[in-house]
Amino acid sequence: MQTALQFGPVFIHLDTLLMGVVQTIQLAVLSILFGTVIGTLGAIGRSFGPRWVSWPIAAYVELIRNTPLLIQLYFVFFSLPMLGLKLSSNSAAILALSIHLGAYATEILRAGVESVPVGQIEAAKSLGLKGYHIIRHVILVPAVRAVYPALSAQFILQLMGTSIVGAIAAEELTAIANNLVMQTFRSFEVYIVIAVIYFVLVQAASLIFAGLSRLLFRWKT
Amino acid sequence: MSLRDFGPNELMFLIMATRWTIVLALIAFAGGGVIGLIVAAFRVAPLPPLRWLAAGYIQFFMGTPILIQLFMAYYGSSLLGFRPDPWAAAAVTFSLNGGAFFGEIFRGSIDAVPKGQWEASTALGFRFLPTLRLVILPQATKLMLPPTVGFMVQIVKTTSVASLIGLTELARAATQVNTVTFQPVVVFGTVSAIYFMLCWPLSLYAGYLERKVGQGLQVKTRRPLLLAS
Amino acid sequence: MPNKLKLVLAGLAVALVAMLPAAASAQTVDEIIARGKLIVAVDTTTPPYGFLDADLKPTGFDIEVATKMGEALGVPVEFVTVTSPGRIPSLLTKQVDVVISIFSITAARAIQIDYSIPYAGQSAVVIAPKSTAISSHADLVGKKVGLTRGTGEDGLLTAAAEANPGIEILRFDDYSSLLQAMVSGQIDAMGGGDYGEIYLKKAQNGDDFEQKYVLKTFYFGIGVAKGNDNLRQWLNTWLFTLKMDGTLEALSMKYRNQPLPALPVF
Repeated sequence: MQTALQFGPVFIHLDTLLMGVVQTIQLAVLSILFGTVIGTLGAIGRSFGPRWVSWPIAAYVELIRNTPLLIQLYFVFFSLPMLGLKLSSNSAAILALSIHLGAYATEILRAGVESVPVGQIEAAKSLGLKGYHIIRHVILVPAVRAVYPALSAQFILQLMGTSIVGAIAAEELTAIANNLVMQTFRSFEVYIVIAVIYFVLVQAASLIFAGLSRLLFRWKT
Repeated sequence: MSLRDFGPNELMFLIMATRWTIVLALIAFAGGGVIGLIVAAFRVAPLPPLRWLAAGYIQFFMGTPILIQLFMAYYGSSLLGFRPDPWAAAAVTFSLNGGAFFGEIFRGSIDAVPKGQWEASTALGFRFLPTLRLVILPQATKLMLPPTVGFMVQIVKTTSVASLIGLTELARAATQVNTVTFQPVVVFGTVSAIYFMLCWPLSLYAGYLERKVGQGLQVKTRRPLLLAS
Repeated sequence: MPNKLKLVLAGLAVALVAMLPAAASAQTVDEIIARGKLIVAVDTTTPPYGFLDADLKPTGFDIEVATKMGEALGVPVEFVTVTSPGRIPSLLTKQVDVVISIFSITAARAIQIDYSIPYAGQSAVVIAPKSTAISSHADLVGKKVGLTRGTGEDGLLTAAAEANPGIEILRFDDYSSLLQAMVSGQIDAMGGGDYGEIYLKKAQNGDDFEQKYVLKTFYFGIGVAKGNDNLRQWLNTWLFTLKMDGTLEALSMKYRNQPLPALPVF
């Protein structure tokens, strides 16, 4: 019976844990990329699209934001094959995570888009610019800049959300930690190390996002 | 053992399990709310060590996945001599975790109260805690409501994670029912609908509160009707 | 401290104490009988040993053994559901009196808890659709193989994957997710118990499933807290009588549709 903390057995397997870190980062980065693309399209469709576009987008956002990620994971992994689409654990995880983030990103970016002063858009129109160009040059950057803190906070939540994809047998840090606990029986020590690793990842991500914002939004409004 | 179709019996089982989801959410709300008040008070206290303690607590619970916190509580507490079962582990973890998030929410609304209020209160001879209790919190309460209700939605959704330490709430009931029916589309679809019915009204209410609070503070921006013309 | 704050803290303290489960530490036979109930850890997502019946009550081989144990002691049984990884902690924290949950006897686990003599046994096998030709580890190369994390199959198939590169292992947290993945076709084969394919056959209207090859034979014991020789000795005696009068065999036919393997003792 463990009475004293022994980290030795955990540190031997540090290389396995590092592999888990890589996989976690992969899941997070890919789902953030796809999710942001979905979110951008969703925000534009929601704000500027006709009713038959904006309404389904609103429904999608409400549905995803009011159901747990775990259920969305189960649904994508177990239900889609019954409807014909069979994905590997990792692919299903990325898909579900992207759809999940996409809904939140849509809402966040929509607030950003709607915060762009109407005058900017009218001025752009009077200069003869058409829809796509207006979006790309006049709306997008100020919109993202306006909601950047909320967006990067959501990205960090996404990073932590990857911890539950083990439920559909995807491999990432938490799943690997569970394997390690099975092997070494040192549950508390393993989870302390994992908690520290996640903490470091989150701090690093925060720093990266802060740095990115300085890079991207160099000019003043 | 027989495989059955998803029917009224199974639906009833899911609805019964929803009770536990609601109970866990309420415990998280109550426990987290109380802890959050304490954490927020520490965060704005005049003593730097208290502020750092609270800041560290918030950083830890907001900066690590709640699943890891759950595992630590469930498997690790034997080291400390406690005897958790999934319920105790979940209740403690959700309360501590909620306490961090509520702490941030409460602190944000406390910070929004004009500094002049603190100064005037001190001038009248009030110390820190009475000031907080009698002057600041009543004013901060209005601002706290929208994010608090919004976070309730988060709590309800996060209870699903407790299924991964074996707690029988709605998400676990979903996998159990799925094992005897093997109809994941129906099962997880129904479960999604139940969660939706729990969360959506709260989300709408949070939105309503946000609009009410923001009414005096914002000018509505007009949506441009068409991009191309 | 203001009075209201004291009240709140007191209430919180009471709530926390109330959440600690009531004295579960009764552990010897006399203490269990004196306490008036037997607390058993089971898993209701592991058919046919533990699952939910048509009224969604726990049933299965393990559940019936637990019920009979209560009858033998003359006390009602309280079931506590645990997941596979939660079995050992529930004994370490004295949360339950015994674990009856397809608890394979391994030396590693016996460092932390004690086992009774085996009351059931089964082979861990590889199961796959009839149409797939698999007869050894080598045939698993290039396939997705599912298993439940932390089970005997986990250790064996993981070792096989290391010896034969190209086998993709998918680890699920519980058995029901594993079964669902097999039925959905998300995995090509799975490591499981030798009853698995009977269950799966009913699930999939199309392809039949069958056992491909045996990984290893495991024996299930009733788990007790380390050092609890009092209870363990009683269990061994009681299980001996169950074996001799054919009860265990009858349960095996009822739930597994096959006889038990020979159950050695230690």
